[in-house]
Amino acid sequence: MNRIMKSTLPKKTKPSDLLVNQSGIHLTEIKPVKGWVPLQLAELWQYRDLVYLLVWRDIKVRYKQTVVGSSWAILQPLITMIVFTLLFDKLVKIETGETPYPIFSYSALVPWTFFTHAMTKLSTCLTGNYDLVTKVYFPKLVLPISIILAALVDFIISFIMLLILMVIYGITPGISIITLPLFVIMAVATAFGIGLWLAAVNLQFRDISNAVPFIIQIWMFITPIAYPSSLIPEKWRALYGLNPMAGVVEGFRWALVGSSWEMPVSILATSLFAVAVLLMGGLFFYRRKEMTFAEVA
Amino acid sequence: MGNFAIKAENLSKSFRISHLSQSLELHDALERLIRTPARLVTNLFSNSQSATQVTRLPAYETLWALKEIAFEIKHGEVVGFIGHNGAGKSVALKILANIMKPTKGLAQIYGRVGAILEVGTGFHPELTGRENIYLNGAILGMKNHEIKLKFEEIVDFSGVERFLDMPVKRYSSGMRVRLAFAVAAHLEPEVLLFDEILAVGDNAFEKKCIDKMKALAKSGRTLIFVSHKMASVENLCTRALLFQQGKIIMDGSCPDVITHYSSLPNPNGKANSKDE
Repeated sequence: MNRIMKSTLPKKTKPSDLLVNQSGIHLTEIKPVKGWVPLQLAELWQYRDLVYLLVWRDIKVRYKQTVVGSSWAILQPLITMIVFTLLFDKLVKIETGETPYPIFSYSALVPWTFFTHAMTKLSTCLTGNYDLVTKVYFPKLVLPISIILAALVDFIISFIMLLILMVIYGITPGISIITLPLFVIMAVATAFGIGLWLAAVNLQFRDISNAVPFIIQIWMFITPIAYPSSLIPEKWRALYGLNPMAGVVEGFRWALVGSSWEMPVSILATSLFAVAVLLMGGLFFYRRKEMTFAEVA
Repeated sequence: MGNFAIKAENLSKSFRISHLSQSLELHDALERLIRTPARLVTNLFSNSQSATQVTRLPAYETLWALKEIAFEIKHGEVVGFIGHNGAGKSVALKILANIMKPTKGLAQIYGRVGAILEVGTGFHPELTGRENIYLNGAILGMKNHEIKLKFEEIVDFSGVERFLDMPVKRYSSGMRVRLAFAVAAHLEPEVLLFDEILAVGDNAFEKKCIDKMKALAKSGRTLIFVSHKMASVENLCTRALLFQQGKIIMDGSCPDVITHYSSLPNPNGKANSKDE
């Protein structure tokens, strides 16, 4: 921070030719930082080339030396869906209305898989880039941003699979599909928000790395993936919605197969509130902790 | 706004040295989190402080890695930071590079800053040499089009053009270093900070690096160079700052400072090694 374009030297005092072709001379002021710091999104924008290259690096490296490559993005939700269908459709017989169970669960597993992948990767985005944290200056929000963008690529792949499944089952989305981008943004915001918290804390206390798989496991049970949220008693739904992924998953499902599925509004309302708090808190917490990243790493 | 490129006033940096084992730290943080409000409450009801400030050993010790240093470096100067391990050179460099925040004081830098604290930061072993040039350049703060413009020059300087499309993990360490330095040497900023980068590579390449850095200095850039290799410092720098235990104890022309430095007893063993 503190990289302010505060002033430009007048022409005659320019010490060398080198500086003449610069647009202006930056004054960097380095001083102690206390408490909360601004997000400095303008500076972040200056580093968009780096974001782009890190996204590209992540995608390029991810499936090196793997056999099925990017099919992993489809396999994981697909196999989970098959197991869920056998368990909860054939054995437990969970009621999902007109929506076939495979579509019911897969449409939830697409945002859910994105969320868990992004959260896992975000939690290690600082610990896994030790050199970038301790040896070089750039706004460190670049790291989580590039990870979430790279995770979106897998999301798109698994989403295409969802469209194929819908064609197979003969499901045409209704007008509610226009709200889909909203729920994608909400999923991104949730993953990003929680990921920022985890990344910053993980740098200091590596306990987070151990806790994340466990958190995901528990979180899955409190998210309406295998079951509809209509199983939750009416009066508890608003509370249930404090899990932002409940709103994301139900919203995603509703946007795609809305004609036969009702959107639980009370869940969505509290989920929107929860995700806003999570994201804003995460951003400012991360920025505050960023001032000491190089020391605690 | 003077005629300086870098000005530091009263710059200080302290670290907390933990006397707790690593595994206790989270426990300790949680405990403090719970204790602080608890203590507030107990303090409300009792006026004696002694009851709560019981016999805990100090868990942390404060270590001043930099103590109120001050210096001014003019545009186009090439300055060496020298001193024993743990004297504070690297911390000073990290603060100027904006990687660490100072605890006290102020530093002002006119011009864009490029810092090379390590050769090849962010190199990815799975990516090719070509890809790593772009990635490393971006990490060091170059824009994509800037790298594109300088690409030929960088490759030329590194001398690895034959292996450009090979993953860097198959490079020899020498090749990797050459490629990395080549990217770093083509940075545009007006102020360049280098830490110990010549510790690697063979003599011929080291000479090439020194020549390149001299050329950079000649083009009007301000250079700070941290090194333990007195020959390189003497060869490259016009001025040197001598660090000892977090303070600058001498600031002057290069040969004088180096002579004084070599007459100092080595304090290591009892000194901290926080920064190197």
